[in-house]
Amino acid sequence: MAESLRQRLDFLLRTQNDDGGWGYFPGKRSWLEPTAYAMLALDKRANAAVLDRAWHLVESWQLADGSWRPGADVAGPGTWVTALGVHLCCARGCFDQRFTRGVAWLMGTQGRECNWFARFIGAIQPGGPDNDVSHRGWPWLRGTTSWVEPTAQAIIALRIAEPHCPSVPGVADRVADAEEQILSRRCRDGGWNYGSRRALGIDLPSYPETTALALLGLQARSDAVREEIAHARKLLAETHSRLARAWLAVALQAHSEQSPAPEGEPSADILLAALEAIAHPEGTRSAFRVPGRSA
Amino acid sequence: MNRRKFVGLVGVAGGAGYLSMRASKTEDKGPDPGPPGKSPVAVLKAASYDEDLVAKIREGAALCGLDVRGKRVLLKPNLVEFDSATAINTDVAVIAAALAAFRSLGAADVRIGEGPGHRRDTLGLAEEARYLHGIPDFERLFTDLNRDDVRPVDNFAGERFYFPETVLGADVVVSLAKMKTHHWAGATLSMKNLFGLVPGAVYGWPKNKLHYIGIPRAVAELNRTFRNTFALVDGIVGMEGNGPIQGRPKHAGVLVMGQDLAAVDSTCCRIMGIDPAKVEYLRLASRVGHVRESGIEQRGERPAAVRTNFELIHQFRNLRLV
Repeated sequence: MAESLRQRLDFLLRTQNDDGGWGYFPGKRSWLEPTAYAMLALDKRANAAVLDRAWHLVESWQLADGSWRPGADVAGPGTWVTALGVHLCCARGCFDQRFTRGVAWLMGTQGRECNWFARFIGAIQPGGPDNDVSHRGWPWLRGTTSWVEPTAQAIIALRIAEPHCPSVPGVADRVADAEEQILSRRCRDGGWNYGSRRALGIDLPSYPETTALALLGLQARSDAVREEIAHARKLLAETHSRLARAWLAVALQAHSEQSPAPEGEPSADILLAALEAIAHPEGTRSAFRVPGRSA
Repeated sequence: MNRRKFVGLVGVAGGAGYLSMRASKTEDKGPDPGPPGKSPVAVLKAASYDEDLVAKIREGAALCGLDVRGKRVLLKPNLVEFDSATAINTDVAVIAAALAAFRSLGAADVRIGEGPGHRRDTLGLAEEARYLHGIPDFERLFTDLNRDDVRPVDNFAGERFYFPETVLGADVVVSLAKMKTHHWAGATLSMKNLFGLVPGAVYGWPKNKLHYIGIPRAVAELNRTFRNTFALVDGIVGMEGNGPIQGRPKHAGVLVMGQDLAAVDSTCCRIMGIDPAKVEYLRLASRVGHVRESGIEQRGERPAAVRTNFELIHQFRNLRLV
């Protein structure tokens, strides 16, 4: 095993909390997001006991409505991390009631902007709406607008989940519609930001990390995003952000592109260390791959 | 005229009428008189970031009666995005000076925390804004408020909200804001800067929940919830036009300070040529702070003496101070 990968995996094993989860930083309370990425980074066979403890914690965070709460300190409501909960169900091969309820919650959640009134306002707005509101993406939490990152995470989760939930109708159609939303929110420079391509009629720039997440959500549309993949390669070469580089490496690999191994010592940021481990050429890069990729 | 155009014109006319009625109704009401007494606000000239800003901040704190001896102080800069062509973020020189000034004033601990609304990589953003290299020991002092542990606070806009432990554990939160126009709120100053206290790990990037509460109401609620605050607004070089990100740098040459954030922001508005009585979140905040000139005790420079009109986008031209 490469030294840079071993260092990151050792760091993750050292920083697991007593409750089985991981915080965003060592010694901090457990949150679902870093716990999910740490679980996806660790090899299942070599770390079975560690992952079992983490999974028990994740299971306990699912709420009665099928959603997941974001962390140990937050009682509810459930948020976008439900996509990670469903993703983890699939990674664990757990396709029981918990899985079904999580999928149902995702299917019953959409951005608040997707309604007849918003479409009406968009239709009468001089110059057209800044953002297309005709597609259904996912919000960070219910009752708010849909954005690129939660939409991409939900697409990944549902694409991985779909073969295991044939009784849930409309998953493929919903995912395809959400992919259209991401495509519609592409910035003029060829990437994506948090999900607003224009404000008051003025173009906004993209960010490398959200460009990576958008491309991960569009794995099944590789042929439609060739230019954006080229843009992501450019961003990977230019950005100083380690987080962005890790996400870009995972995204490019999901589109069958080569990407370099992370360099340097692991950061004290657990989410970043986990992503760099996933992004490593010897890491668990398939964790974010979805079935039926067009590449 | 086809049917689509007709429906569109009816919609636009109706919407414009409603907004006009709403605006005139709220403007007529004006800000509340505010709490008893007056709020001191210090306006100090600083022509550039090369001046002795530590001395200026010490002077401003003294003029406003701030005592931080033995207290845990959290500096909350405005770190949004980075663009070397403009002035989006609180300048690194102001943060470094505030760190030194509050330490020298006897604070037990001075830390720095921020939770940007759009970007996930807070430390990467801090590096681009030169915070990482311009502030000694920055990484050790800094907390990413988006990903800090949290505790619940009840009755924030009528519901339970979660805020970072680092914020709730501070004795004084210093809002180190940038003097900027804002394309939704009119102006973004020390009160709007408190949006960065809301954790992205719970509410996302952007913190869209605050938009649905309503930006003015959310700003006012943050100001009502966090009363252990001090404002230090970086108006040496601010931003005009399409702020808070895409505007142009605007030299105003001032630092504005005070413990009443509404009074500080109202003073900043007057310096920027904006009528604070027409800024909705300031009207809402006038229940707990001073917005009217009569409730503010200006120390240092008079706002009228340092006034420099910030360009306003078309939608906010009505905010111009007569």
